[in-house]
Amino acid sequence: MRWVIPLALMLAGCVTHSEPAELFQLTPESNRNRAMQIRTFETKDQRELLSASASVLQDLGFQVEESVREVGFLRAAKERSAREYGQYIQRTFVLILSLGKALMPVDLHQKIAASLVTRPLNPEGTRQEVRILFYRVVWKGEGQVDRQYIPPGEQHMEMIRDPEIYQQFFAKLSKAVFLEAHAI
Amino acid sequence: MTRGRFGGKGEGMCGMRIAVMLLWSVVVCSGCSPYDMRHANQWNSRDQIWLSEASQVKVRAAQTRVFDTTDRRKLLEGVIATMQDVDFRIDVLDEELGIVSGKKYIDLEGPQGAGTSYLLYRSDQLLFMTRNYRSWGPFWNRDDLVRFTVTIRRRGETQSMVRASVQHYLRAVETPEIYQPFFRALEQALFLQAQTAP
Amino acid sequence: MRFSTRRRLHFEARRSVVFRAFAGAVGVILLGTLLTACTTPEPAKELLAPTDAQMKIRSLQTRKFDLKDRTVAMRGVIAALQDLGFIIERANEPLGLVTAARFAEPNYYDVVTVTVIVRPETADQMTIRANAIYNNRPIEDPKVYQNFFAALQRSLFLTNE
Repeated sequence: MRWVIPLALMLAGCVTHSEPAELFQLTPESNRNRAMQIRTFETKDQRELLSASASVLQDLGFQVEESVREVGFLRAAKERSAREYGQYIQRTFVLILSLGKALMPVDLHQKIAASLVTRPLNPEGTRQEVRILFYRVVWKGEGQVDRQYIPPGEQHMEMIRDPEIYQQFFAKLSKAVFLEAHAI
Repeated sequence: MTRGRFGGKGEGMCGMRIAVMLLWSVVVCSGCSPYDMRHANQWNSRDQIWLSEASQVKVRAAQTRVFDTTDRRKLLEGVIATMQDVDFRIDVLDEELGIVSGKKYIDLEGPQGAGTSYLLYRSDQLLFMTRNYRSWGPFWNRDDLVRFTVTIRRRGETQSMVRASVQHYLRAVETPEIYQPFFRALEQALFLQAQTAP
Repeated sequence: MRFSTRRRLHFEARRSVVFRAFAGAVGVILLGTLLTACTTPEPAKELLAPTDAQMKIRSLQTRKFDLKDRTVAMRGVIAALQDLGFIIERANEPLGLVTAARFAEPNYYDVVTVTVIVRPETADQMTIRANAIYNNRPIEDPKVYQNFFAALQRSLFLTNE
């Protein structure tokens, strides 16, 4: 049953490396993300934008974790179940194919976080931008391969890059502040 | 399992293995282990980003009260006092924005003993613990953790809206009965009568 | 050669004496290690003394900007970090501190953390210093800091439009 271990490794995916300098470079992709994450509002009232953002996040079940109003920073998170039927089906298949030897860990628990920043776009402060970033961290439960126990708590992280989620957030925000949100 | 029934010895082993396997898959698919099996199962866990309450209108009504005052400071003081009365630890407080957020631990399922490494973990860090540290620790205590956020917003010229939301056991708490005592205590602390939000 | 019984006895006695002495020595050494334990590695004397190399990195990590308002500078830093795909973890306005992190995508095993300090140098100049750490190893590659400040320049310039 030695082949089970490489199989599990294959399922876990392989590791690639990137140079630190590359991580500090603006790419076409970072411009795309920027456009997705930012909306501008014609308002002077930064306080209202932040307070409305907090209440929209609250509507979505987020709990505020940090607020630094001076720089317009707000961080909120919610913890939810990460279990998926698909993973259980896959797990059962692997279990059967490995003749009961491999019990893959499945996703159990996720923390969905939102990091939001507002900033004035001109010196008079009549135009403000709101930028929000969603990401999530997912934790797996326990598992077993052959006789080797896999302890729970393996974590993986994911940036949310689905434009629709951002659109919906900004739609709610502009409704809450009675202002039109402009894409950049 | 006798030999006669399964023929050879090897076949007997195989039969047993299949039986164990089936049993296992039943346990895995439907069983109930202390922690994980109670979480909601779903087709796509990314939906949780967007998924909020069952009926937003109803939940919002349960979580919101309107007070006839615009004194944000006074409302905040009342909220903090009430939160402290029910043993919440205040983590975030922003007077200008009208945000209060805190947490507490309730032992609903007997002592599991939250380790200090768990209690001291910083929620602002990207990773939960260290990259290689793995245990049930960070999870099991999540059913003890209650998070509570209150926001206060102006409503019209003369009123303010107080919205409270609680998260427990990887879910948003939606039962109106849980919020009622909080608002009652808040009314008493403020000497003000609140209305439910229309 | 044949030993007489007496000589053999003598030999045995000597052997046991040698053995006992040896056992005793081992015992003393064991006891010694138990009492003193192993020596812990001492940090080098220059642990807290900046080296020339570090001073060079420091100059790479630091830039001066013609800005009057610290909040504006901090907002610029936050925006630049966000543009680069970092997640803002903490900000502290009174201290001029911003910390952010991101995974070394496409691999989600390594984390890059950046700490930025914004400090007013003179009435109309700000010093901005960035420290980048890859897992727990400080990044010394000058290109990293050049790229960061290029992004910062761009983001500050955007604010002033």
